[in-house]
Amino acid sequence: MNWTCEEIEARLSDYLDRLLEPGERSGFDAHVAGCARCAPLVGMVAGTVAGLHGLEPFEAPPRLHYRILDHTLGPRGRKKGMRAWLAWLRPLSSPRLIYGAASVAVTMAVLFQALGLEWRVPRLSDLAPSNVYRTTDRRVHLLYARGAKFVTDLRVVYEIQSRLRPEAEPQTTAPEQPSDEQRAPQKSPRKSDDQSSGPQPKSRRELDRAKDRTANLTTLACAVGGLPARSDR
Amino acid sequence: MRRHTRRIYNLCYRFTSNAHEAEDLTQEVFLRIYRTLATYRSLHGGFATWMTSVTRNLLIDHYRRTKRDRMTDSLDDAMPRLENKEATGRRPDQIALVAELGEQVQRALGKISPDLREAVILRDLQGLEYREIRDVLGVPEGTVKSRINRGRIELARLLEQMGVRLPNTP
Repeated sequence: MNWTCEEIEARLSDYLDRLLEPGERSGFDAHVAGCARCAPLVGMVAGTVAGLHGLEPFEAPPRLHYRILDHTLGPRGRKKGMRAWLAWLRPLSSPRLIYGAASVAVTMAVLFQALGLEWRVPRLSDLAPSNVYRTTDRRVHLLYARGAKFVTDLRVVYEIQSRLRPEAEPQTTAPEQPSDEQRAPQKSPRKSDDQSSGPQPKSRRELDRAKDRTANLTTLACAVGGLPARSDR
Repeated sequence: MRRHTRRIYNLCYRFTSNAHEAEDLTQEVFLRIYRTLATYRSLHGGFATWMTSVTRNLLIDHYRRTKRDRMTDSLDDAMPRLENKEATGRRPDQIALVAELGEQVQRALGKISPDLREAVILRDLQGLEYREIRDVLGVPEGTVKSRINRGRIELARLLEQMGVRLPNTP
């Protein structure tokens, strides 16, 4: 069958929808292959149809469903009384929300406890400017006092620790170290003797004081008991 | 319900090119179906075909009613959102390209005559068979084929004039 350009245009949709017989289809193809007018038309319409098939459907707005249901089945009945409250509270019953609320409550309780805040039912007089100022002033001073006490306590503890530490060191290191004179140059060869043995004179002085006390006691005991006095120094 | 709503809404939007009008018309279609449900007989074809017929009649009424206003209508009035489920898995540029293409096709659809437009929409966008379109439009199948063919050619020429490049798959 020989196709004319008018026939091609008239049967174009049958061709695209695959409604042509095999013989008709081959004749159609043969004409289009050799026709400079029909080939672009077929390509153009085929592309349009493919484009239309590829278009995505639009999403109907969610409110449309409710509008339709309201107009067909009537407006949705509203719950009353306790049911309305339960319906309102239902979204709050999710485990994640409960866990979050509990965490916040515990955190607030710890903070209140740490800051020394006392919870009581607020009164109208609490809103008076003078009361607000007085309460705030009191809170700030309390907070400052607590902070100052905390810092002082820390300082005392630090001082005690720093005093105990130098006395503990000679006892543990004394047997291993041969002597102060030999150890001083090894620890810091670049420094002078006075600088390198900084903490040592202090401990030596304490040792000397202990020896003095022992000597005094010995002298006292000798004087009391008639024994000859002996000095270690 | 949701499936039918989406189908009817898409049909209304493709015909009117206006999201607000499409919403109102979809609601009206469901109201009419709800009121005239007792008159539905399976002789009319499938339920979906019957719904499409009701929609088409309402669309034609709406078209005649708003013929004057449409002279100044603009497609920019309101474009509905694309189906999220279908759009997932695509890059943003692809989504934008498809949206732009859809808008241009919608502009071209709005320019062809209502008879050809409804035939093309029912066939190529709603995916109805020829006999279903015949039932919906109430015209012989030959007329349906002719309208679809002329509508496609006219739409293709309009898109070419607009400079829209569509995939060429003969």
